[in-house]
Amino acid sequence: MVTVPTACPFCSCGCGFYLLAREGQLVGVAPSETHPVSEGRLCARGWSAHEAALWGDRLRQPLLRRNGKQESVSWDEALDHVAGRLKELMNAGKPVGVLGSSRATNEENYLAGRLARAGLQTNNVDFSYHPICRPLLAGLEEVCGKHAPSIRLNDIASSQVILLTEGNLAETHPRAASSILRAVEKGAHLITVGYRKTQMARLASLHLQATPGNEGEVINGLLAAILDLRLQDRTSVPIGYDALRRDLETVKGTEEVRQAAEWIARAERAAFLIAPSCGPGDQSRKDAAAFAKLAAITGHLDKPASGLLPLLARSNVRGACDMGVVPDRLPGYDPLDDARSRQRVQDIWGKKLPSAPGLRAESLLQSVSGLIVVADDPPSVVPIGQRAMAAMERIEFLVVLDAFLTPTARIAHALLPIASLAETEGTVTNMEGRVQRLRAATNPPGEARTGWQVLAELCGRFTSSYSSASDVLREIGQAAPGYAGVEQRLSEDGWGGALLKDFDRAKLVVQPTRTTGLAALTSVERPYLLARDVAFDWGHDPLVSFSPTLRRDYQSERKLFPNGFVEIGKGDADALKLSGGRQARLTSVHGEAMVPVLVRTDLKPGLLVVPYTFRDRVSNVLGTEGVTAVKVERA
Amino acid sequence: MAFSIEKKAVTKWLEKLLEAGEVVAPVRTPCGDVLFSTIRSAEEVVWDFPNPLHPPKEFVLPQTDPIVKIRRNGQHHEVEAIHDGTRRFLFNARSCDAKGIAFLTRMHEMEPADASYLRRSGNLTVISLACATPCPLGFCVCTDSGPFLSDSCDAQLTDLGESYLVEVGSAKGEAAVAEAQSLFRKATEDEVSRRKNLEVAARNHFGEETCHFASAMRRISTGRVPDALWEKMGDWCLECGGCNLVCPTCYCFGVKDLGRDGTWIRCRLRDSCQYAAFTLEASGHNPRALRKDRMKRRFFHKVSAQYYTRDGTVGCVGCGRCIKVCLGTTHMPAVVAAIRKGKWHE
Amino acid sequence: MNDVFLPDIAWLADVCDETPDTRTFRLRFRDSKKGEDFHFHPGQFLELSVFGYGEAPFCIASSPTRPEALETTVRRTGQLTNALHKLGEGDEVGVRGPFGNGFNVEAAYGKDLLFVAGGIGLPPLRSLIWNVLDERARFGNVTILYGARTPTDLVYKQELSEWGKRSDVETHVTVDAAQAGWTGKVGVVPSLFKKISFHPESTLAYVCGPPIMIRIAIQDLLALGFKEEAIISTLERMMQCGIGKCNHCAIGHRYVCRDGPVFNYGQIRELVE
Repeated sequence: MVTVPTACPFCSCGCGFYLLAREGQLVGVAPSETHPVSEGRLCARGWSAHEAALWGDRLRQPLLRRNGKQESVSWDEALDHVAGRLKELMNAGKPVGVLGSSRATNEENYLAGRLARAGLQTNNVDFSYHPICRPLLAGLEEVCGKHAPSIRLNDIASSQVILLTEGNLAETHPRAASSILRAVEKGAHLITVGYRKTQMARLASLHLQATPGNEGEVINGLLAAILDLRLQDRTSVPIGYDALRRDLETVKGTEEVRQAAEWIARAERAAFLIAPSCGPGDQSRKDAAAFAKLAAITGHLDKPASGLLPLLARSNVRGACDMGVVPDRLPGYDPLDDARSRQRVQDIWGKKLPSAPGLRAESLLQSVSGLIVVADDPPSVVPIGQRAMAAMERIEFLVVLDAFLTPTARIAHALLPIASLAETEGTVTNMEGRVQRLRAATNPPGEARTGWQVLAELCGRFTSSYSSASDVLREIGQAAPGYAGVEQRLSEDGWGGALLKDFDRAKLVVQPTRTTGLAALTSVERPYLLARDVAFDWGHDPLVSFSPTLRRDYQSERKLFPNGFVEIGKGDADALKLSGGRQARLTSVHGEAMVPVLVRTDLKPGLLVVPYTFRDRVSNVLGTEGVTAVKVERA
Repeated sequence: MAFSIEKKAVTKWLEKLLEAGEVVAPVRTPCGDVLFSTIRSAEEVVWDFPNPLHPPKEFVLPQTDPIVKIRRNGQHHEVEAIHDGTRRFLFNARSCDAKGIAFLTRMHEMEPADASYLRRSGNLTVISLACATPCPLGFCVCTDSGPFLSDSCDAQLTDLGESYLVEVGSAKGEAAVAEAQSLFRKATEDEVSRRKNLEVAARNHFGEETCHFASAMRRISTGRVPDALWEKMGDWCLECGGCNLVCPTCYCFGVKDLGRDGTWIRCRLRDSCQYAAFTLEASGHNPRALRKDRMKRRFFHKVSAQYYTRDGTVGCVGCGRCIKVCLGTTHMPAVVAAIRKGKWHE
Repeated sequence: MNDVFLPDIAWLADVCDETPDTRTFRLRFRDSKKGEDFHFHPGQFLELSVFGYGEAPFCIASSPTRPEALETTVRRTGQLTNALHKLGEGDEVGVRGPFGNGFNVEAAYGKDLLFVAGGIGLPPLRSLIWNVLDERARFGNVTILYGARTPTDLVYKQELSEWGKRSDVETHVTVDAAQAGWTGKVGVVPSLFKKISFHPESTLAYVCGPPIMIRIAIQDLLALGFKEEAIISTLERMMQCGIGKCNHCAIGHRYVCRDGPVFNYGQIRELVE
C-alpha cells in the first residue's frame, strides 16, 4: 500500500490528504491530522478525490485530427506539428492565444504564460474562471494591493464575528463552512449577506437580505453604520472619514445593519469572506472594494487572526492569477505595463514581451485562429456557455492539453494527454495564499505525460526548456517575487505548504468613491429579477463528472430536468399558478425563453434564480448580464 | 492461553510474520501522521501512538475493492471472481478496531455470505494492542469494545514494561505465535494479574461524560425523536460522508464496473448514506432527499433496538473517530446526547 | 460461501418491443445446467449486467411455471437501459439472482385474486398472473385491471387481448387518454373498481404501478373493505447488491431486496423511513 501526501484538487480551501494506491492503481483517500488546513477532515469531494483519475475517460495518446477523425501519433510528431502550425498562424499575422486553468498547477500555468508571451508573442492569455472572479479581485485590490491579507481557514474557527457574502458556502467551500460552524458553536456571531436563506444563513445571528448583484447596498449600509457609530478603528489606515461618510450619505441603515456593524467593529478577531457576485462587473468591483474597506476601517486587515478571504471556486484560481495567465498581468500578478516587472520577466525569459494588451477569455475564444487550452473545458466554465463551444468549433487550430476526455477535448485538432492531479508534480496556491505540492500516487495512463513537461517541450520549440518541475518552480520564484524562496521552503518542510506573505500593510488604501447602488432594475412590466447563480458548476467539471460517487446528484438534476430549470419562491409560484416542472415564460429587454420551474422555500418573492449550469437555457433573457428584470408568466 | 515476549524480541517476531505474509501496522509518515499501512521492515511499526484516523477496515474492505473480472471475447464474455487470498497480519490494532472488524465479518457472514469479504477476513490475523491509557476522545466502555478485549481478536498484546503479554484468542492467533514460537514463553500468573489490573485502571480513566446510548436507543427505536430536532442537527452537518468512511462498523457500498475496451473489473466502491444521491432511484424519486432524513437513517442504523437485535451490538465501537473527522459538529456522542436531552445547542 | 457478485452469463433468446420505450427480453443461460437449476418465485428480481455499463435490478416478468421463457420487461430510462435496448438476439448479459421474497403463491390458493396494475407496474404482476393461470384450478375468481397513459403505452398488448378472451378471467383495460382507433375504456385504473364486483373478505389484491396510482388504489381498496394484509404491493428502491449488504434499499431495518420487494400494506405502514 502506497500512501502519498498531496493537496486537494477541487476547491480553493486547499485541504491535504493521502492518496492510497496498490499495485500502481489508485484505491482511495486517507485523512491527515497534521495538515494545517484539513486537520483530518475532508468534504465529500475530497474523500472521492481519487475517483476521477481512476474511473474517468482518460486521454492516453497524443492525437491529431486528420481526415475528420482523431488519429494516434507519437509525441514528437504531435509537438512538432503543434509548434509548426502555431508558427504558421503567427507568420500569417493571425491572432493566437492560450487559456491556462484554475485546475492546472502553477508550473503549468506559468509555462502556458511563457509560451504565450515569449513563444507566441501575444498577451492573449487568460483562464476560463477569470470572468467570474475578476471584478471581485479587482475590487479587493483597490483597497489591499495585489492580494488581500488572508485569514487562515483554521483561524476562522476562533473568530468572534464572521461576515460572509455568499452563494452557498456549505456547498462551495465546505472546509470554510466547517470553521464557521465551530466558531458559531463557541458563540461567534455569523452575519450572512445574500439573496437566499442558505444553510449558513439559517445558522447566522443575522441574515442581511440582499438583492442579487446588489450586495453592495448592504455592505455600504454597514460602512455607514460603522462611521455613524464612530466605531471605525482610528489607529489603522489613514482614511478621509468625513469624505467617506459623505459619500455614503444616501445609504439607509436598519436596526439589523447597525447591530451587525457594532459586532464587527467591536470584535477582536473577525473574518471577512466574500464570494463573486452575479452583478455587472463594475458594480461588483465597487462592492468588493466596499467590503474590503469595511474590513480595513475596523482594523481587521492588520490584526493577527483576522482577515479577508475571497471565496474562489477552484483549487488554483489564486495560482493562475499569480502566474500571470491574465491578459493584463505578468507573473507575480503585476500589471502588464509596469516597467520594472516587464524588465524582470524579460530578463528571465530572454525575450522582449509583447506590449499590446491581450483579449480576455470570452473574447479570446471568439477571436483567435489558434488556441491552446490547458486542462479546462471553457464552455462549462465561462459565462457565455455553449456560445464558447460554437466559437471554439470555428477555431482553425485548437490544441488541448488535458487528462480527461472533455467536450473541448473532443473537438481538438491536437490533443495532448497529460497527467491528472493524482499523477503529477507541481504546486497549487489556495485562497489563503498557501502554496502546496501535489504528488503523484501513480503513473499517468498510456503515453500521457505531466502537464509541465508537455508545456516545457512546447516552450522548448519556441524558446528554452526545463528539466524538472522544481526548475520551473525556482524560475517562478524569480519571475513572481512573492514566490521567491518557495521552492526551498517546500523542499525543507513540505507538509502544509508555504504561506505567501505578500500583503503590504502600507499598501492599504481606503478612498471614497461615488457610491452608486445598482439602480433598481425592476419595473411594473418586469417586476421580477432573474439572477444567474455564479456558484461553480461542479457537475460539469471532470473531477466530479467522472467520479461515480460525486456525479450522481448532478446527473439526476440534469436527467429530471433535461431542459434545465429556474428556481422560484413558493409565494410567487402559487401566485403565478406555477407548480414544479411547469414551464414559465420569462421576458426581459433582451429577449424571452420558456423554461421549467423548480419551486423553493428559501427564495424571497420577486426573485428567480437560474443555476449556473443551466444558464444557456436563459441566455436570450439574460443577454450578457448576470441579473436582469423579467416578466414571468405561465407558459 | 497467555504467552509473554520480551519487547526486544518483537522485531524478530515481526520479521517472521513478514516472511509468512503481508503485515499491516501503524507507521509514521514523514508528515507526522500515523497511518495503517503495509510494512517492509519491523522498524516501521510504531508502538506509542494515537489511533490512526483512517481505520484498518481498509484491509478487509478497501475503498475500491475489485471483486469480479469480466472479459469480452467476440460475442462471448468470461467472468471470474477475483480472490484476494493473501495471508495478512494486522498488527497493533486497537481494541475498538478489532471489534470493528469482527462486526464487519458478522455482517458479511449473514446470508447470503459474501465470499470476497470472508476470504480476506479469513486470511487476516488480528493482533491487537490493548489500551492501558485510553485515548482522549474514545468511549469504548460504552460499546463494550475496549479498552481491553476478551474476544474479537486473534491475539491481544498488553504492554507490561519490558515485555508484552500475548493472549491468544483463536487458532489464527496460535499460528501467528507459532511463526516464532521460540521467542515466547508461557506467561506467569503475576503477568496475567498485572494485565488485569491495567484493565481496571484503564476503565477507571473514563469519566461519566461519555456516550450513553440507552435512552437515545429507546427514542430512536420508537420514532420519538422530533423531526424538528433532526432538522436542526441537519444544519450542522456538511454531508462529507467522513463519518461513514472512518467508522470501523460502516460498510455501505456501491457496485460499479471499471474498465474499457472489453475488459472490466467489477468493484465494490465505498459509499455513504449521508450523500443525497444514496437513495436516488432511476425514476428520479428520492425518499431521502432531505438531509434530516438521511441523518435520521444513519442513527437508526447505528443505534436502534431493531438493529441491535439483529446484529447483537450497537453499530459503534466507541473509537471516537467521527468526532475528529466530522466536518460539521454532528458526531456520535453529540447526536446521542442531543437525543437524550431532546435539544441541540440550547 | 458464494461469490455473490459473480454473474452467470445468459444470452438474449428473444427481444420484443412492447411500447416505443419498453422491451421484453427473454433470457437463456449459456450454461444449460444453470438454467435447469434456476428456480424462482413470482415477484422476485434479477440483477442484470450490461457489460461495460454496469448492473441494475429488474423484476422477473415471467412465471416459474414456464422456465424456458425467463423474461424481464425493461423501460429505457438511462445509460444502462439504453445500452440494453441496443442489444439483440444472441447478445450476452450477466444475471445474478433470483433475489427478494417474491409473492406467496400458496397463500393465494382458494382465494379470489384481484390484480391492479398501471403502466410499467404490470411486468412484476405478470409473473404471478401466468403462474395463476397455469394452475387455474387452485384459485378462485381472477380479475385483472390494467391501465396506461395511452394505448401505445400498454404493455403485453397481445396477452391482454388473450386474457380478455378467456372465460376464466375477468379483464378490464383502460387508458388515461385515448388515441385514434381506441374503442376501450378511458379513465384511471382505480376508476375500474366500480365496474367489478368482489368480496373483500376472500380476495387478495395485488397493486403495482406509479406511486400515485398505488396510493389511490390502496385508499379505494381499504374503503371497499379490504384488510391491510390483503393488499399486496411491491416497493421500488435504489438497489445495488441485491443481497441486503450495500444498504441502499434499507428502510428501517428492513431491506427491500431481502424482506421485499413484496410487502402487504400492513407491513408497508410499519416500515420506519
